[in-house]
Amino acid sequence: MRIADLAIQELTRRLQSTGIVWRIGPFLVRLRVFSPDFARHFSLLYGAYPLEPEPIDEIIDFHIELVRGSGLRRWLKPPIFFRMDGPAPFAPFPLDHALPLFEWGFNYYIATWANQYLMLHAAVVARGERALLLPGIPGSGKSTLCAALVAQGEWRLLSDEFALIRPATGEILPLPRAIALKNASIGVIRALDGSIVLGPEFSKTRKGTVAHMQPPLTSIQAVDQVAWPTWVVCPQFQPDAAMQFTPMAKEQGFLRLSSNAFNFELQGARGFQAVNRITRSCPMHHLRFGQLTEAVELLTDWSSS
Amino acid sequence: MTAMNRTPQKPADWLLNAWLDPATFPALPPEEQEIILRLARRLDVLGALRARLEQAGVLHRLSGRIQDFLEGGWMIAKARERSVRWEINRIQRAFYGTGLPVILLKGAAYIMLDLPLARGRVMADVDILLPEADLPLAEQRLNRHGWFTALQDPYDQHYYRQWMHELPPMIHQQRQTELDIHHAILPRSARLHPDSARLLAAVQPIPGMTGIWTLAPMDMILHAMTQLFHDHHFLKGGLRELLDLDALLRHYGQTDPFWQQLIVRADELDLIRPLSYGVRFLHRFCQTPMPEFMLSSTHQDAPGWLARSIMNRLLPLALLPGHPDRLDKEPLQNLARWLLYVRSHWLRMPPHLLIGHLTRKWVKKWHFNVWNRRPV
Repeated sequence: MRIADLAIQELTRRLQSTGIVWRIGPFLVRLRVFSPDFARHFSLLYGAYPLEPEPIDEIIDFHIELVRGSGLRRWLKPPIFFRMDGPAPFAPFPLDHALPLFEWGFNYYIATWANQYLMLHAAVVARGERALLLPGIPGSGKSTLCAALVAQGEWRLLSDEFALIRPATGEILPLPRAIALKNASIGVIRALDGSIVLGPEFSKTRKGTVAHMQPPLTSIQAVDQVAWPTWVVCPQFQPDAAMQFTPMAKEQGFLRLSSNAFNFELQGARGFQAVNRITRSCPMHHLRFGQLTEAVELLTDWSSS
Repeated sequence: MTAMNRTPQKPADWLLNAWLDPATFPALPPEEQEIILRLARRLDVLGALRARLEQAGVLHRLSGRIQDFLEGGWMIAKARERSVRWEINRIQRAFYGTGLPVILLKGAAYIMLDLPLARGRVMADVDILLPEADLPLAEQRLNRHGWFTALQDPYDQHYYRQWMHELPPMIHQQRQTELDIHHAILPRSARLHPDSARLLAAVQPIPGMTGIWTLAPMDMILHAMTQLFHDHHFLKGGLRELLDLDALLRHYGQTDPFWQQLIVRADELDLIRPLSYGVRFLHRFCQTPMPEFMLSSTHQDAPGWLARSIMNRLLPLALLPGHPDRLDKEPLQNLARWLLYVRSHWLRMPPHLLIGHLTRKWVKKWHFNVWNRRPV
């Protein structure tokens, strides 16, 4: 049974009682949410995932709860709080922002606890088993480029945020979540292709207006298929700039991968070795682009040659 | 596991059993394993639990997903250990040529002594002890090497310097690591007065290292007990502190004379009360092996029956975590923690000081809430 097979009313009821169990990449999550809109948004974005049948005979990694506050504020400007084995160490969001709170809080706990993996801050897409890493600081256009690549059809989504690498082998584990698009990117992606499914727009978040793109079905179906680092491209979006695709010095590429990572230093020697392997084995390029479709075409052609 | 059986008996007991007898862990039902792992993660003992499972030779018998879960915590502990070793090296460098000793307290000492309990143990900062007369020089040297005081508020500065047993915490400007410099193990204003000169006279060099010292083993144990029973900072991670003590006593306390000397030493240091609580709770929660006389002998400074029976009720409530789904939501536990918080302040300073201090803190907090609160 898939999550989307549940009527919204039934999904809401389950989310507010025992919760649902969701397998996303290597993680099992129990999710309980006390917000009226969440079920609709979640079902739209993640409906293609199977609903794990219970009882489960494995351990669940993250027990996530989004709960309403009890103070006076609940009547004026009701907040919603993130809990994971006790209260989360960050501020609540407005009640109608339950979905962005879930996405942000889940990222926070993966980044804090999943240190069995080296976690680089990069979008990752793949053609079959060959992965393209797109490391980039916020604003570099990596999420937008990643969304456009997977929308084009040749590429599957591994993650728009985490390159989840098993240090012992170097393989990248898929974590196909909804892609968070910000501000102008939302319209750009919407205009690409009529079949792209976007969730609602949430305005006035910390990052401005945010909307989430549904991960493609083919990416979800290939969730158990690991990929291997094959190409590294550091994107830099610059409005109206002519496209420029230039090889990058290896030492610079190493720093691009490691300096912005979630837990590179924490991994110690094995993190260094893993990034070193990627640096040595993958061609590394810098990509400046002004037109999204041109960039997608170039990367698709380049990876075919 | 299933959210249906949500009222299982004693999550904390499961954790304690797995901790003390890790060999039993692989055969537990998955729902118990899951609760134990979640509590261990929340209490920051996941890495140490992994070390114990490995020590017991059962780690490889666990599923890949459980091993991954444990490794997530283990890597944090390893990274902190590297950082602590480097911090100690940097402190040595800052003190180089001054004759100032580097006397490590608590976690940093356990790591450098390579004690079994240090494996996988997560620690936040480095604590060192210095003779009070050496503080100005130490502060000057540390400033010169990049450490700066973390508290800018003049009242906080005054409060620490006037009444506390440590300088205001220092942060290294590049590494953002915290260093606490103590001249005693309890505040100046506290009820008990362990004499720092006696502690300093008994420090021991770490074998194979020059210029790095730790407290004598008994003093290390008494210090840990004092922190657990007389300091509110340790209430939250209290169970972790108790587990540390259990491991320390299992390591050092293998002969009867050790325990007899421990009582003598506690008496010398005015720490009979924390020792008395310590051995009783360790016996009760961790079944720490100890000779009979530790529990039967009463001392004139030991807590009376009233204090003991109140603590007997409050401490388990405050220290032992409940079900991970309801952490911080259980009114009885929160009340016990609050009462112990009040108690720790009561022991920390006499009433007139306490009233002034808490008033200032509350005014500051209220002021912050009302005027400085940022919109969500």
